[in-house]
Amino acid sequence: MSIATRGTASNYLQRAPSPSGLADVLDVILDKGIVIDAFVRISVIGIELITIDARIVIASVDTYLRFAEAVNRLDLMESGGVGLEDLRGDSDGSSKRKARGAVEGVKEKLTGDADDDKDKAKESQKSRS
Amino acid sequence: MSSESVEAPPIAQTYVYGVVAREAALELPVAGVADAPVRTLPEGGVAALVSPLPAERFRVRRRDLTNHLRVLEEVFAAATVVPCAFGMVVPSEQSVREFLQPRQAELRALLERLDGHVQLNVRASYDEDVVLREIVANDPSIAQLRERTRTQGNAGYFDRIRLGELIAAELARLRERDADELLQRLSEHAADIAVDEPSDGPVLKASFLVARDRLEAFDAELEQVANTHAPRLRIDSLGPLPPTAFAALEGAGWGS
Repeated sequence: MSIATRGTASNYLQRAPSPSGLADVLDVILDKGIVIDAFVRISVIGIELITIDARIVIASVDTYLRFAEAVNRLDLMESGGVGLEDLRGDSDGSSKRKARGAVEGVKEKLTGDADDDKDKAKESQKSRS
Repeated sequence: MSSESVEAPPIAQTYVYGVVAREAALELPVAGVADAPVRTLPEGGVAALVSPLPAERFRVRRRDLTNHLRVLEEVFAAATVVPCAFGMVVPSEQSVREFLQPRQAELRALLERLDGHVQLNVRASYDEDVVLREIVANDPSIAQLRERTRTQGNAGYFDRIRLGELIAAELARLRERDADELLQRLSEHAADIAVDEPSDGPVLKASFLVARDRLEAFDAELEQVANTHAPRLRIDSLGPLPPTAFAALEGAGWGS
């Protein structure tokens, strides 16, 4: 645990001792570990199918257009835009994050039950931000 | 009557969290899946961590997922554990014994291999804007195509697809190169590595099995990698975790 509390020289390395979001929890315990087969697992089969689904990313026209759009909206230095130094502050709002949030949103939807509605709302809000 | 109620009712199923050495001294967590108390079920040289599960159709809640992990984490704080994947349910405690009995030697060997080690999950992702800038700056043909599509509007549909295609290919190349570098640098401090399937997302997503006395070195290397690649790369390190990604049995499992 001491590893998590040590200070870091940059914001580019984030340490956490234990997963906090549901997607990270699933990442650690789903399909990882020994399997006692020949007996049906409790009904998480739905979760597994969809998480696998969400991992499959097809290089499609949509993907290409998204990249083109992303690179076109960049304010490059040549056009008097910001330099790399200015970017350091806003790495949290990058589109990479948004993309990741969308995938995790799928996982979260699956496991949210009636008794977890509050949590679910909180999670999906987080992944949209 | 009272002796009946001490044992789990025969109708209940058994949920399995993982396996420890029989002699492991544990403080067992109170609440597991379905908020049931966790206990050990010894068989020969090993013991399974189990809790009763209602026989009726059980609906998984968020809390059950976190409780499964918490049980493993609490046990892991005191002993070496071979984790089970989430969702292992068998009809009875007898079934657990039948699973453990023929696999004692293999499980003991696995416990020995995992002893003194922890798992760290590392995820490295690009700051997309920074890397896109890098790609435009390093490839004149991409920069030209970008200039053209910026002024073409909808007329440049196919140019935009071409531009996106070139960027996707360059991104894939950079990802592979950076993933290789990270793996190579970190593998020097790890006993084992489990790389997750590469996808469109992170540059690298992998679990590292690290000896406790190498944790500092591993972390220092991570920090160095992060500093070298800032601001284009962001690294998340999760752990120390119980070694879920490094627990696998030779035989497929039950009845094989």
